[in-house]
Amino acid sequence: MDALDQLVAQVQALSGSEQDVAHLSSLLKQADELLRTHALRLPFSLSSLHPTKHSLGYLYLLEAQSSGTLTREQSDSFLALASSFLTVCAPEQIRLAPDKFNSVCRRLRDQAMHLHEPMRAILPLQCAIRKLQPSSEYLTAIHADYLQMCLLSKCYKASLSILEDDIFEIDQKKTSLVPRDFLLYCYYGGMIYIGLKKFSKALEFFQHAITAPTTALNAITIAAFGKYVLVSLIQNGQVPPFPKYTPAVVLRNLKSCVQDYLDLANLYASRNIAEVKRCITQHEEVFKNQDNNLGLAKQVIASLYKRNIQRLTQTYLTLSLQDIANTVQLDDEKDAELHILQMIKDGDIFAAINQKDGMVSFQEDPEQYNTCDMTQRLNNEIHHIVCLAKKLTWVDEQVSCDHAYLSKIGRDRPRYDEDFDLVPQKIYTNI
Amino acid sequence: MSSSSGLTFKLHPLVIVNISDHHTRSKAQTGRAGRPPRVYGCVLGVQTGRTVEIFNSFELRYDPVEELLDRAFLETKQEQYKKVFPKYDVLGWYSTGSDVQDSDMLIHKALMDINESPVYVLLNPTINHAQKDLPISIFESELHVIDEVPSLIFVNASYTIETVEAERISVDHVAHIKPSDGSSAATQLAAHLTGMHSAIKMLNSRIRVLYHHLASIQKGDAEYEHSLLRQISSLVRRLPAIDSPKFQDDFLMEYNDTLLMTYLATITKCSSTMNELVDKFNTAYDKQNRRGGRTTFI
Repeated sequence: MDALDQLVAQVQALSGSEQDVAHLSSLLKQADELLRTHALRLPFSLSSLHPTKHSLGYLYLLEAQSSGTLTREQSDSFLALASSFLTVCAPEQIRLAPDKFNSVCRRLRDQAMHLHEPMRAILPLQCAIRKLQPSSEYLTAIHADYLQMCLLSKCYKASLSILEDDIFEIDQKKTSLVPRDFLLYCYYGGMIYIGLKKFSKALEFFQHAITAPTTALNAITIAAFGKYVLVSLIQNGQVPPFPKYTPAVVLRNLKSCVQDYLDLANLYASRNIAEVKRCITQHEEVFKNQDNNLGLAKQVIASLYKRNIQRLTQTYLTLSLQDIANTVQLDDEKDAELHILQMIKDGDIFAAINQKDGMVSFQEDPEQYNTCDMTQRLNNEIHHIVCLAKKLTWVDEQVSCDHAYLSKIGRDRPRYDEDFDLVPQKIYTNI
Repeated sequence: MSSSSGLTFKLHPLVIVNISDHHTRSKAQTGRAGRPPRVYGCVLGVQTGRTVEIFNSFELRYDPVEELLDRAFLETKQEQYKKVFPKYDVLGWYSTGSDVQDSDMLIHKALMDINESPVYVLLNPTINHAQKDLPISIFESELHVIDEVPSLIFVNASYTIETVEAERISVDHVAHIKPSDGSSAATQLAAHLTGMHSAIKMLNSRIRVLYHHLASIQKGDAEYEHSLLRQISSLVRRLPAIDSPKFQDDFLMEYNDTLLMTYLATITKCSSTMNELVDKFNTAYDKQNRRGGRTTFI
């Protein structure tokens, strides 16, 4: 029998119990070369295998089949095969070969982009993520590809279920993840949240990208930082200082790469709309062509208007529309009225417009916090935080017992604690 | 051996506090050397029918060398107390120690001319954390025939603690101040919250018992008892005390305020853990030796 047919027979035979599958996976690893040489015959072999029962074998064959360049119908058929495979494969089997699985998903994404049909890849990739993850708290390499597809096809809502899972675990052995995937995940996640107008969550994601531990500055980090500046101007009106855990490399070098954004942030602080507009047109080339951030920059201007109006609520109880237009440097009353109406609808301010005499009276937040819904909400939040606190203490303990930490502490201690006997450093460093 | 006289004894906390105070003082006066000496005193109270209620006590002078009670002192004290509290009689005496001793019988007999059947209150000053009950025992004397010789022996009697409102305040005070010396606000708050927590826990467990009982009645395992159900129903109807919309609003507002405080507390705790974690992570993995806080952005 031909080597390939032998292999196929083995796949069919050994896909039963767990030990068989483990044995099969080692066999398949060795058979990689073999599969590549017989790439043309693979489609026939594939049809004799069942994607759910023989997931592992199917995976290897599929991967080998798609390794070369494909013609148009080939990529179409590959797309169809891969999509159906990803939706029905058996999770336990594919978890034994995460790197192959990742490369199949990557090929799927490439082919979908090649055919300009990113939407076809969304459902298969979502199933793939769920199958590869041991639990919903794990990050996989497929997350980044999936988010990219959602972005390209503008299906933001579809990605929400994946984005809203809090990630706590990163395990390279189980998911064969590289740091680049993590950075891409944060970057694309932030962009999707911008699309959904949830700016605070977008800020969180971009901050993760900036503060990820690294030893060299990454282009993704720089791009994320640009967007971070713009989104934080829109959301908070200022750019916060770097948190404690930002890696030193980022701290030193980032500012020099993003000078335009920093200028914009400085001018924003002056609250002068004409200046900000001028700055944006000045750097339009950078914003538009280099980073595709012109839309965001325009939103920055809109947010500046909003912020100026909000500041008025702190000074005045009532104000006429004409005065508002003048103070905020809007063109005329109608404009001011539109702006204020929009803000009331969004819940940014609480006010009432008296159209007869053109006066706007600013009011307090009517929330009294005396409803059962509020109790319910507070209760849920408290539970959430208590769970998070438990996780944090667990991670804290893990780090306290970590070898690197103990060795650094062991070295520092004799200098600062004279009461203690000399810490036996040998114990810590010879583990 | 327990008493067979059928008398019910009621002990007031003032007596316990007095005895303990007397013992502590003499222990402090003799210093740390040696065992603390035994202290002696008289107990006063009222006996109505079969109930003996012990209200108060005073100290007696005892000469350990001669093993004699100072009778003159006892008589003067007795007269003075009679003037202030005419109703109270000398009902017996007290002492400290872990168990009854033979010399006690002598004192007991000596007091028999004041009260024909005195009581003996014994306080055990050794602190035993495992023991949950009060270390106080009350003894009576009975005539028993042992080896064909009639003799007086001490028999244990059961007692209950009885409190007057005024005494409740002082007992409460003592119970709460005791855990810490120089209690700061934090420990007082902790003590207050612990008390509240145990009270609520007890309430919860009692309600659970009632609930299970009702469930078993519903299932048919227990019998349908009307009087019990009436009591439960009246208990349940006691709360809520008011039920108007204005009350609901105010109540919910206060409730939500407290919840907000708890929320704030949990967030603070979380942030502090996070801060420590970040510090540890930085010391462990950061190549530069950064000892500073946050670095500014511009």
